[in-house]
Amino acid sequence: MLDYLKSRREDVIAGLVTIGVGIFILTEAFDYRLGTLTRMGPGYFPMLLGVIMCLLGCILVLFSEPDAPQGATADRTVKRGVILVTVAFLAFALLIERVGMVPSVTVAVFLSALSNRSTSWLTAAILAVGTAAACWLIFSLLLGLQMKAFW
Amino acid sequence: MELLGNLALGLSVAGSLAGLGYCLLGVTLGTLVGVLPGIGTMATLAMLLPITYHLEPNYALIMLAGIYYGAAYGGSTASILLNLPGTATSAVTGIDGYPMSRKGQAGVALFMTAIASFVGSMFGVVLLSLFSVPLARVALQFGPQEYFSLMFLGLIAAALIGSGRSIRSLAAVTLGLALGLVGLDLNSGVARFAFGMPELFDGLSLVAVAIGLFGLPEIIANAGRIINTPPEAKTISFRSMLPSREQWRRSRMPMVRGSGIGAFFGALPGTGGVVATFISYATEKKLSRHPEEFGKGAIEGIAAPEAANNSAVQAAFIPTLSLGIPGDPVMAIMLGVMMVHGILPGPNVIAGNPDLFWGLVMSFVIGNIFLLVLNLPLIGIWVKILSIPYHLLFPVIVAFVCIGIYSVNFQVMDLYVLLFFGFLGWGMKSLNFEVAPLLLGFVLGPMMEENFRRALIVSNGEVSTFLTRPISGVIMVVSLAIIAWFVVAGLRHVAGRGRRTSENQNA
Repeated sequence: MLDYLKSRREDVIAGLVTIGVGIFILTEAFDYRLGTLTRMGPGYFPMLLGVIMCLLGCILVLFSEPDAPQGATADRTVKRGVILVTVAFLAFALLIERVGMVPSVTVAVFLSALSNRSTSWLTAAILAVGTAAACWLIFSLLLGLQMKAFW
Repeated sequence: MELLGNLALGLSVAGSLAGLGYCLLGVTLGTLVGVLPGIGTMATLAMLLPITYHLEPNYALIMLAGIYYGAAYGGSTASILLNLPGTATSAVTGIDGYPMSRKGQAGVALFMTAIASFVGSMFGVVLLSLFSVPLARVALQFGPQEYFSLMFLGLIAAALIGSGRSIRSLAAVTLGLALGLVGLDLNSGVARFAFGMPELFDGLSLVAVAIGLFGLPEIIANAGRIINTPPEAKTISFRSMLPSREQWRRSRMPMVRGSGIGAFFGALPGTGGVVATFISYATEKKLSRHPEEFGKGAIEGIAAPEAANNSAVQAAFIPTLSLGIPGDPVMAIMLGVMMVHGILPGPNVIAGNPDLFWGLVMSFVIGNIFLLVLNLPLIGIWVKILSIPYHLLFPVIVAFVCIGIYSVNFQVMDLYVLLFFGFLGWGMKSLNFEVAPLLLGFVLGPMMEENFRRALIVSNGEVSTFLTRPISGVIMVVSLAIIAWFVVAGLRHVAGRGRRTSENQNA
């Protein structure tokens, strides 16, 4: 019995998460006016979705699903990629409205380039400047995109 | 002979200099992003979206569509040569394509994928030109019940067919539907799931959500990897590409069956290319007289899924253009472009804008001929592009994705949405949830709610209205039958496992 539960731990977690999301949708839905079936308010459809989510979550907890293989595992190279690529996107988001496209692209490319171990600082820097120049040429000069190129 | 007149009208649009130019640009870009792993169709469309607002809608759609089906051709190249699918739909092609290329038959595999893609595409285009007009005519009588039922069927089929974990897929669809509701409710003006952030009042950006779920994990997964071009890739001459007579013979029927399977799943909103490729591969394996060759370089294993994939891509335009129901996120973007240009998606599109519809159809024919040239005599170029080191390429992709997403609405929030969905997608994958059904629910969410509400207003709150109207009823019965089938299969599985565990305990 214990083995049976343990082998299904992943399904149980997935089910609990599903129920959690369902309850969250439900609590939000009840904040809006529900209305009736004939004249539905903004809360009615989300309420239905929340109920369905909770039901599906319960099914997942109670019954396991056919042969679930291993989920994604994170090794160290992947971790480095996750962190640096995330930081690169964040940097772009924080910079774009303050300093414009060219500097933001430079920073984003530089940071994401470093997520591969075989890329040296110098290569990353050259790539960053080159990409920024190309973006400036393509988006600002050729396509005339309404985006500040510099601050 | 109405059809001939229409085709001539289409040819006058697609065959014009601008039409040819945008078509060629689209399919070339499409092949490029298809070949390169890590940039999806969505990212490319996102980058080009702002430009298309200044184009005439006919040409804008011709170009965007070209990217879409061009990527379906290009995706198989990396799959065959590197066992690294360039697009999700070409993953199946690698199962037999990669072993073929290890055996020195990369050329033959590439040749056959191009031919199969062409056959599948043409099959899809023929269906599109034959069935869209009658379907749109029928759809003029559709009420909200029919629309709701159709989307319901699409979502059920997408979640259940071809997925090993049906409950998880259904949960993903439901979450997607809820995420689609983020923003102002059109009927009451209430902001839902916006948490007081006015940037969310217009809803989540489709492009940001889609790239977050699919593009970001792809970029991250490949960021640390160093890919070397295999030696097989460098020796592809046109002569080495020609299949033998035996290989031709073995590919013929799989291509036909693949086209049929692809067209069916492509036309059904929701399922589309990925499901079609898996099912056509499984079908060929089952029908083959030598199933043991599958996975070791059976040519049927690339011909069938490639035909299915491309046929599905073209058939996906059927519900999009004749009903206004987008079968996948790319189609949702196409509908968005139409709306920007003041064309309301729905059954009136074909009748109201025949130049747009028939122009697109003819551009598919022309585009596929372009693609045949790009992928047969010019395949060497794409193989060379594959040898660009990925660790130098993906930072550039990151930059393009940033600019692309930001420039759709000029909203920094969209970049945070991208990151959020990147992590959501990663979290879902680690719990073995699929993200594709979520995206589909997200795309259809607002339309489903709208039609659900309208249907119940029209019927005075009678839920049975979905079953009593004839067309809606048939669609609903089919959907319920699919659900029933999976419930029975699921219960059988649970019962079977219970018996097995008790046997183990006795032993």
